[in-house]
Amino acid sequence: MEQKLLLHAEKIDKRFGPTHAVNEVSLDFLEGEVHALIGENGSGKSTFTNMLTGILPIGSGTFTLMGHDVAPKNQVDANHQGIAIVVQETGTLGGLSVADNMFLGDEDQFIRRGIKDTAAMNRKAQELLDAYGLGYIKATSIIDNYDFEDRKLVEIVKSTWFDPAVLVIDETTTALSQKGRDKLFEVMDHVRELGHCVIFISHDMGEVLKMADRISILRDGDFVTTVNREDVDEDQLKTLMVGRQMDDHYYRTDYPDYAREQPGETAVSVRGVTVPGMIDDISFDLHRGEILGIGGLSECGMHEVGKAIFGASYDRTGEVVLADGTKVKDINTAIDHSIAYASKDRDNESLLINDTIEDNIALPSMRDMGRVLSDKKLREFSDKYAVLMSTKMVSVNQYVSALSGGNKQKVVLARWLGKQSDILVLDSPTRGIDIKVKAAIYALLEQMRKENKAILIISEEIMELLGMCDRIFVMKDGKINGELTRSPELSEQDLISKMV
Amino acid sequence: MTTSNDTAIDSKTTAIDDKKKDAFAARIRGFLPLIGFVVILGFFAIATGGSILTPKNITLILSGGYMLMIAACGVWLIMTMGCLDFSQGSMLGVSCAVFCALSQYNLALAILGGIATGGVIGAINAYFHVYRQIQSFVVTMCVMFLLRGVCAFITTTSPVYAATYVTTFNDMTLLMGITLAVLVITYVVTRFTSIGHNLKAIGANEKAARFAGIKVQKTKVIVYIVAGCLTGFAAFINAIKVGSVTSTAGNMLETQLLIAMVLGGMPINGGARARFSNIVIGVLSYLILQKGLVMMGFTTEIQQLILGVVFIIMVALFSDRSSNQVIK
Amino acid sequence: MELIKRARQSQWYGVGLLLIVTALVWLVFKAMCPSTFGDPDQLLTYLQTGLIYAVGGCGLYFIVVMGLWDFSIGSVLVLSCLMAIGFSQSMGILGLIVAPILCGALLGAANGLAYIKLRIPSLIVTVGLSLIYESLSVFASGWSGTRLGDAYKMFGSYPWNLILAVLAFALCTFILKYTKLGTYVNAIGANEATAKNMGVNVDKYKFLAFVLCSTFVGIMAILYIGYGTAQTPMTGMLSQSLNFKPLMGTFFGLAFKKYGHPVAAIVIGEFIISMMFAGFVALGMPVTINNVVTGATLLAIICITTKRVKGAVVK
Repeated sequence: MEQKLLLHAEKIDKRFGPTHAVNEVSLDFLEGEVHALIGENGSGKSTFTNMLTGILPIGSGTFTLMGHDVAPKNQVDANHQGIAIVVQETGTLGGLSVADNMFLGDEDQFIRRGIKDTAAMNRKAQELLDAYGLGYIKATSIIDNYDFEDRKLVEIVKSTWFDPAVLVIDETTTALSQKGRDKLFEVMDHVRELGHCVIFISHDMGEVLKMADRISILRDGDFVTTVNREDVDEDQLKTLMVGRQMDDHYYRTDYPDYAREQPGETAVSVRGVTVPGMIDDISFDLHRGEILGIGGLSECGMHEVGKAIFGASYDRTGEVVLADGTKVKDINTAIDHSIAYASKDRDNESLLINDTIEDNIALPSMRDMGRVLSDKKLREFSDKYAVLMSTKMVSVNQYVSALSGGNKQKVVLARWLGKQSDILVLDSPTRGIDIKVKAAIYALLEQMRKENKAILIISEEIMELLGMCDRIFVMKDGKINGELTRSPELSEQDLISKMV
Repeated sequence: MTTSNDTAIDSKTTAIDDKKKDAFAARIRGFLPLIGFVVILGFFAIATGGSILTPKNITLILSGGYMLMIAACGVWLIMTMGCLDFSQGSMLGVSCAVFCALSQYNLALAILGGIATGGVIGAINAYFHVYRQIQSFVVTMCVMFLLRGVCAFITTTSPVYAATYVTTFNDMTLLMGITLAVLVITYVVTRFTSIGHNLKAIGANEKAARFAGIKVQKTKVIVYIVAGCLTGFAAFINAIKVGSVTSTAGNMLETQLLIAMVLGGMPINGGARARFSNIVIGVLSYLILQKGLVMMGFTTEIQQLILGVVFIIMVALFSDRSSNQVIK
Repeated sequence: MELIKRARQSQWYGVGLLLIVTALVWLVFKAMCPSTFGDPDQLLTYLQTGLIYAVGGCGLYFIVVMGLWDFSIGSVLVLSCLMAIGFSQSMGILGLIVAPILCGALLGAANGLAYIKLRIPSLIVTVGLSLIYESLSVFASGWSGTRLGDAYKMFGSYPWNLILAVLAFALCTFILKYTKLGTYVNAIGANEATAKNMGVNVDKYKFLAFVLCSTFVGIMAILYIGYGTAQTPMTGMLSQSLNFKPLMGTFFGLAFKKYGHPVAAIVIGEFIISMMFAGFVALGMPVTINNVVTGATLLAIICITTKRVKGAVVK
C-alpha cells in the first residue's frame, strides 16, 4: 500500500555545549502509520521529538509537515500546527480542574469579550472524556483528586481531541497499568485510522513490535536505519540499538581472572535497601580494589542507590553498613567515613555553581584542617588538587559557573581526592563531557582501583560500564535484574537484555 | 541561512567575549560599595558645606552607629545564608527592657539577660523557619509584630528605666572599643574558620551545601540564635545611650539594617559574593546618608522617600542571580 | 463512614468545615464572657470589620496563590484612603469611589512593573516600595486633610458596606472562575515552568495580579475610611501593621483552595478572626496585646496550612 509522506525531518541537529545530542538526523514519517523510535538513553530520540513539539528550540535543520515548515515555540503552538505530545512526567497542573488542564493555554476558543465561558468549557471537556470512554473522570473536579494514571489519561485526551496530524508518545507506557496502556493503544490505533501518524518512543520491545508499523533506530544522536515491523524480531532490534566499536584507548585493557582472584575486603554492604517508589530490597557488597557498575534505564532506580549509600536518601529503609560496622544514615557519616559522591545532577548537588573553585574543593576537608583556616592554607590545598586533576581554570578564586562541563567534573573529583576518600560513588561520571576529559577520568579510576579503593559507577552509558567495571549489576523497575562479570566476551546485548 | 558549523564558531567567540565582559563587570561590582560610600560622603560634604565632617558631627554620627554595627554583624550572618530577619527591631526593644529591669540588680546579670532574651527569640525564629519550613521573612515579620506588642505591653504604664549607673558608661572610647571588638571577633570567626565558608555555601546553593557535608539545619539554628544574642548585646549599648525603653524602642531597626546591608553591596540572596566589608561600608554609608539628609533639612518623610528609592536601586544593582532562575 | 466520605467529595465540604469552626469559636468565647460577647448586634459588628479585611484578602489572594508576596498593601491602603478623603471634597461621591480604586490600580501597576523589570524577590521590592508610598502619604494628607466629610460615611455601615463588599467578592470569584487570569494565576502557582511551556505569558499575568491586588485594596479603602472616618499618614513602616489581617484571610483561602471556593473561605476566615479579636477584648485583653495576638495568629495559621516536604529548600 502506497502511503503518502506526512512529516519529513531534514538534517535535524542539536548540541548542548560539547554534547552533540542529535546529529543531522533525517527521517520520513508516513500517513496512517505508527512509527516507533527506539534507542538507548542518550541516543537523542527525546531531544528529537522535543524539538518537533515545541519543548526545545530546533538547533538546525527543518521539519516539514504536509508541505509546510514547522518550528513550534511551545506546546500549545505545536498543537495549533497539528503536532502533539504526551510526555513521560506529569504534564497536568495541580490545583486546577480537569477541564482547566485540558484546555490550558488554549482557552481563547471559549472566550467572548474577555469572559471565559467556563460552563461551555466544562461541557466540552466532559463530552471529550465521555467520547474516550473516560466518563468516570469529572471535568469539573480538581485534578488533584485523581491519581497519576488518570491524570495521564487526561493528558492523552488533551493532546489528541483535536486530531493532531502527528502525535508523539514519549515513553509514557512505563508508568501506566495495563488498563492505561490499553487505552493508550486504542488512541494510537484511532490516530492511525484517521490517516495520521504516531511517533512511539518506548523501551518495551514487546509493545513496539505489537504496535509499530515501522521502527527507526537512533544511536548516540545518529540515525541508524528504519525497518518494517514484519522484518525484525526483538533480538535483532536490540542488536541494531547497540553494535558500536569499542575504542580500546579509552577504557581498561586488562581482563583479570576473577575465578582465581580473591575479592578485596568488603568496603560497603548494602542490605535490603528500599526507597518507596524507587528501589526495592537492594542488597550487594562493594569491595576494595574493584570497580562495580550499576546500569539500567533512567527510571530503574539506580540513581537512588547512589544517594542511599551516601546517606542522602529520604524515607530509606534497610541498611548501608561499612567494614567497621558503622551504619550510614546521613551525609556527614558517609563523608567522615571516607565515602565520596558525585551526583548525576552535577550543577545542583555535586557542585556549588555560584561559589569559588576553592570552596568547592575544600569544603568537606575544612574540618580536617584544624580550627584556624588561613586563606593561604585553603588556596594551597585547593590549588594542589585542582592542578592534580589538570583543571583548566584561571585561579581557584574563579567561580565554578565559568567552567566547562568537563572541568566542573574535575573539580568534583578534586574535592574527593582532597578528602582522601576510599569509597567513591560516581553517578554518570562522564555525562556531557568531551573525549579527552573522559579518557583522563577513566585513567584516574583505573589508578584508584590499583590503589585498592572501592569504586561504584552508576551509568546510563553501556559502553562505559562494559569498558571499566569488574562487575556490573543491571537494575530494572527498582530491583537488581542480573549480575555480569567483566570479560572480553561480554557484550552490550547481554546488558540490554536485562535492562528492558 | 547559516549552517550549524558557523553558528557554533560564532557562539564560541561571543562566549569568550561574554566571559571577559562578565569578569570585568564582576570586578567593578566588587568596588561599587566602596565607590558608593565615597560618593555619598563627597556629596554630603559638599551639600552641607563641609559641616558634616566636623569632629563634632563625626562623633555624633558614630555614636548613633554602635548599636547598628553590632546588630549588623548578626544580620550579615543570616543574610549570607540567603535568609532574612525582620524581627531585629522589636527584638532589640524587648531585650533592652529585660536588660533595664535586671540592671537594677546586677550589671553582669543584666547583660547576660539581654543576650539570652535575644537568643531565645532567635531560637523561636529558627524553629518556625527550619522545622516548620516557613519562609524566614514571614516568620520574622510575625515575630516582629508579636514582640512589638510585648514591648508596648511592658511599657504600658511607664517606660522601663535602666539603673542610673548604666548611662554613665556613655563614653566614646568604651563604646567604640566594644563595637570594634565585636567586629573583629566576627571577622576572625568568619574569615579564619570554616563557618564563613559554610554560610556562603548555604547561600549559594542549600542543596549542594548539604551534599558537601554542611549540616544546613543545625547551622541555620545556630546562626539565628547567635544573631539574636548579638542584638541582645546591642540592646545593652542602646540602654547606655538612651537609659530607658519605650514602646517604640528599636522601631525601624530591621529596615535600617536591611538598607545598610544593601548599601554595603550585600546581594539580597546572600551567597559567595557576601563580604565582611558589606557590614562596615554599609553601616557607615547608611549613617552618613541618614545624618546628611537630616542636616540638609529634609523632613522625615522626604528622608524616607530617598531611602526607599536608594534601597530599591541598590538591591537591583547587587542582586546575584542567574538568568533562568525562577524569582518569587 | 459513608456519609462523611460522600460529604468529603462535595464541593461545599470546606465551607461546611469552616462554618463549624466559626460556631465553635463563638461558643468558646460566649462561654467565657456571656454578657460582653456574642449578641446578634455584636455579631453584625464583627462581620462588618471582617468584610473590610476580606476584600483586601481577596486581592492579596491573586498574589499569594502564585507564591509571591505583597507587603505594600498597608501603605497602598493609607494612600487610597487619603485619596478618597481628598477627592470626595472636590468631586463628591464619584471622587469617594473612583479615586481610591484608581490609586490602588496605579500603585499596583508600579509594584508589578518594579517586580518584573528589576527581577528581585517580590517581598523585597514591595517592602521597598512601601517606604516610598508611606512618604507619599504624608504629602497626600497635606493636600487632602485627614477627616472624611460626614456626607460620605455611608460605606461605613449597613447596607452600603455589605453591598460594596459583596460586589467585590463577586468580582473576585468571577475573575477566578471566568477569566484566563484566574486560571493562569493558579497555573503559575502550581508549576511556573510547565505553565510557561504551555505558552502562558508569566510576566504579563504576574503584572496583572499586582494591579488587581492593589485595586482590591483600593476598594477596601472605601470601606475602611467609611468605617474609620479618619486616616493619618503613616511612616516608619507602621503601615506594615495593616498587612496582617488581610493576609490571614488570604491564607484561609489558600488552605481551602482545593475545595473550590476560596472567596468563601477568605470571608468566613476573616469573620472568625474578627470574632476572635473581639473575644479577646471582651476577656479584658489590653489593646497592646492586640499585636501579640495578631502576630501569633498569623504565624499559627501559616504553620497549620504549610505542607512540609522532606528536603525542601526554604529561604
